Amino acid sequence: MAEQQLVTFRLGGEEFGVDIMRVQEIIRIPPITRVPKAPAYVEGVINLRGNVIPVVSLRTRFGMERVEDTDLSRIIVLQVHKKVFGIRVDAVTEVLRLDDSAIEPPPPVALGMDSQFIHGVGKIGERLLILLDLDNMMGGEMGHEFEA
Amino acid sequence: MSPDDKREQGVDLGEFLEFYLLDSQEQIDKLGTGLLQLEKEGGNIGLINDLFRSAHSLKGASGTMGFTQIVALTHAAEDLLDRLRQGKMAVTLDVVDVLLAVTDRVKAMLAQVGQRQEITVEYADLVEAMKALINGEKRSVPGSGAANLPNAKAAGMPAAEAAGGVPRANDDFVVVDFGLTAEEWAMINEAQAMGHGVYQVDVALAPQTLMKAVRAVMAVQRAEGLGKFVKLFPGMEELEAGSPEGFSLLIISDEAPAEIANEILGVSELVRAEIHNYPAAQLWADRRAEVGAAREASSGSPASPGSPASSGSTAASSGRAAAAGTAAGGAAAAPAESSPGLARAGAAGDPKVPRATTVAGAQSPVNIAAQESGLAAAPAAVENGSTQVHTIRVDTARMDNLINLVGEMVITRTRLVQIGLDLKNAYRTDPLVSNLIETNVYLGRLMNDLQESVMRLRMVPIGTVFSRFPRLVRDLARKTGKEIELVLKGEDTELDKTVVEVIGDPLMHLIRNSVDHGIETPEVRRAAGKPEMGTITLDAYHEGNHIAIIVADDGAGLPLERIRAKAIEKGLISEREELADRDIANLIFLPGFSTAEQITDISGRGVGMDVVKKALNNLGGMIDIDTRRGQGTTFIIRLPLTLAIIQALLVEVGEEIYAVPLSSVLETLLVERSDIKTVGGLPMVQLRGNTLPLISLQQKFDLPASPNPSGEVFVVVVGLGDKALGLIVDGLRGQQEIVIKSLGELLSNLPGIAGATILGDGKVTLILDIGSLIQDILVARKG
Repeated sequence: MAEQQLVTFRLGGEEFGVDIMRVQEIIRIPPITRVPKAPAYVEGVINLRGNVIPVVSLRTRFGMERVEDTDLSRIIVLQVHKKVFGIRVDAVTEVLRLDDSAIEPPPPVALGMDSQFIHGVGKIGERLLILLDLDNMMGGEMGHEFEA
Repeated sequence: MSPDDKREQGVDLGEFLEFYLLDSQEQIDKLGTGLLQLEKEGGNIGLINDLFRSAHSLKGASGTMGFTQIVALTHAAEDLLDRLRQGKMAVTLDVVDVLLAVTDRVKAMLAQVGQRQEITVEYADLVEAMKALINGEKRSVPGSGAANLPNAKAAGMPAAEAAGGVPRANDDFVVVDFGLTAEEWAMINEAQAMGHGVYQVDVALAPQTLMKAVRAVMAVQRAEGLGKFVKLFPGMEELEAGSPEGFSLLIISDEAPAEIANEILGVSELVRAEIHNYPAAQLWADRRAEVGAAREASSGSPASPGSPASSGSTAASSGRAAAAGTAAGGAAAAPAESSPGLARAGAAGDPKVPRATTVAGAQSPVNIAAQESGLAAAPAAVENGSTQVHTIRVDTARMDNLINLVGEMVITRTRLVQIGLDLKNAYRTDPLVSNLIETNVYLGRLMNDLQESVMRLRMVPIGTVFSRFPRLVRDLARKTGKEIELVLKGEDTELDKTVVEVIGDPLMHLIRNSVDHGIETPEVRRAAGKPEMGTITLDAYHEGNHIAIIVADDGAGLPLERIRAKAIEKGLISEREELADRDIANLIFLPGFSTAEQITDISGRGVGMDVVKKALNNLGGMIDIDTRRGQGTTFIIRLPLTLAIIQALLVEVGEEIYAVPLSSVLETLLVERSDIKTVGGLPMVQLRGNTLPLISLQQKFDLPASPNPSGEVFVVVVGLGDKALGLIVDGLRGQQEIVIKSLGELLSNLPGIAGATILGDGKVTLILDIGSLIQDILVARKG
């Protein structure tokens, strides 16, 4: 039976998971430079060892209110379609394995957030894990926005 | 081994393939430019030699890689060039046309090779056309499309048969029967199929040469260095025992005949080396016919395109040799009618040929007397020697890596300087601190040099871009029935490789526009009292920290009234608005603007000038127009020299810091808020009697307003060309060297932002795109 390895993190009251193969690294929040005229969910850009990469605020992306950084706040640096960007999360929780059989398609009314960012819901006992669809996080939608 | 086997079996071939493609592309480019020059200058023997060499190496390389189609095509082209080279044919428009068509076709083939596809591009029609030209027929050049192929083929076939049947005129050399074994036959047949040259080298010994066999051995050794030596005639024993006046070698080589001759003549006591294509295919056919007895030895068998010797003849043609011999002296006269350049070259070469050692017959068409071609090739060789640039090819990724590292070092040094200053504040008297600061200064100087050297690696002459335009203009001019000369200037002007890579398309667009809309037809020009030949000038030069590229034509100029009318119709400007000519001209850069009444397939689809502008803005440059009714239009493009490391002025806007490229900063001002007036919704300030439009960065970028605004603001005056603009900022942070980093694909194309950089404290700072800010203001003023 196929299984996935996931990095899980917390955002508000929810727990999310991303494919570990897409995760390049996890860093503390460095100074973030605001980028004028960029889409609202782009919090800004950071210096990642000499490379400038954009950071998406998942809270803004999912329509949650902004919160102050805590000691647990992190940026998960992802690589999707050779593009590197970071997502800002409240806390990274763990790395776990999840059986494919434990993953269900996203519910039609998707937890009050845009279902285009969700590719499934994982069940671990009583815990529910929202599995992120990273292709649309920046690659898909952003591509359209800038082509237009 | 068939080429297919080779490709399947060779996993490594991919590695060579890249080199092959690069190299072939280079040769094709060389051929293309050379041909256009040939068209202009007529027969210039040095030039033809260069072309021949390019075609030859293209053929050789393609043969090695097993692309028989390319070999066949380039081989035919090489034949044609060979005829030109020997002055047996004059350079005509037809010849240039067909050869240009060959370069196009080979390009298409290379494209297929590049995509790892089978070569399916048709080429037989061109081969026939070239054969027909060689045989003195006048035929139109087959188009590059496949549509007219059947016709061309139908017309071409009889010509080909004629070529095969009738031995090439003036063919007099005696084919030596080397007594080859079956293996040797197989070897040379395969070599020919692969496109290698198979040559019979007739070597003449000086009279009374001692140890003739030794000379032969030395010649054989040299031949080995040129390719593959197959056989010597007569054999060693006979050479030693008898008193032959010379001997013959059979070799397989990719070198040009003249080079082979030069190499072999390096052996002392050898007075002459004549190189002939060895008609192996023909001989092989004859031999098989003899052996097979019953089979007809048809000398009219259709020539296979891959064999260089297919048009060569057997001894049967020797009857014509006499005629050729007597005509040889007059050979140079033939091209005189049509191409003065070639005639001169021939005439100059002739007297130097030592008649005493050259038998009259030695100047026959297919062979090349070593002395003659040696002389002809010598100036070219000298020229090559002096202009040869010693270069290595480096993967751009490696170079970019180096530049990145240098960039990181620049940042780190800035940090060191900061630490030094901090230490100085803390421990003012410690001599170690001043030591550190001194060392920092020295390091800074080294870094500057290093940076400059590294940046120079990326600089390439703009000529590499310009070189593709003569062909474009020629073709477009022919298509539109106009007479246009393209004048190139400043090709040596260097600029960053990335700029060179992307500047091509915008320039092409401007040139197409000039050809299509700028230059008038010859009739119109005559009526207007202008020379019928229109001129488009392409120029490049340095202008401060920028490079200016000029595309100018002497055509009709932009139809300003029509542009104005169109702009009003589209609601881009109001009817009342008074605009200077120049501002009207600038309207064509607005999206979707085209006044072309007739859409041609060259330009005028309404997309275009705005795309050109956008592409240039993306590079941090801008474009301007100067147009005069009846006198022509000039486009002036201004681009930054380099895109990687620049001097910048850091400015504060609220909490944020932005970097302004210093190359566009004209001055900084301290302005009373009360002096800022608003005209038509845009802030302005009077500066030395002129009105300077202003942009508030805080408003432009929707930044939070400063909590306690002071009565004075800083204005950074930036300009490109003669356009200026003031940026309202809260403070100046001083100037610093910054390394430009891309914001990445995800955040490209943000208005007003050219990129990002990392400051000494590790924080990211955005770099302003002055070109786009200025152009925004210009458009805003119109709208």
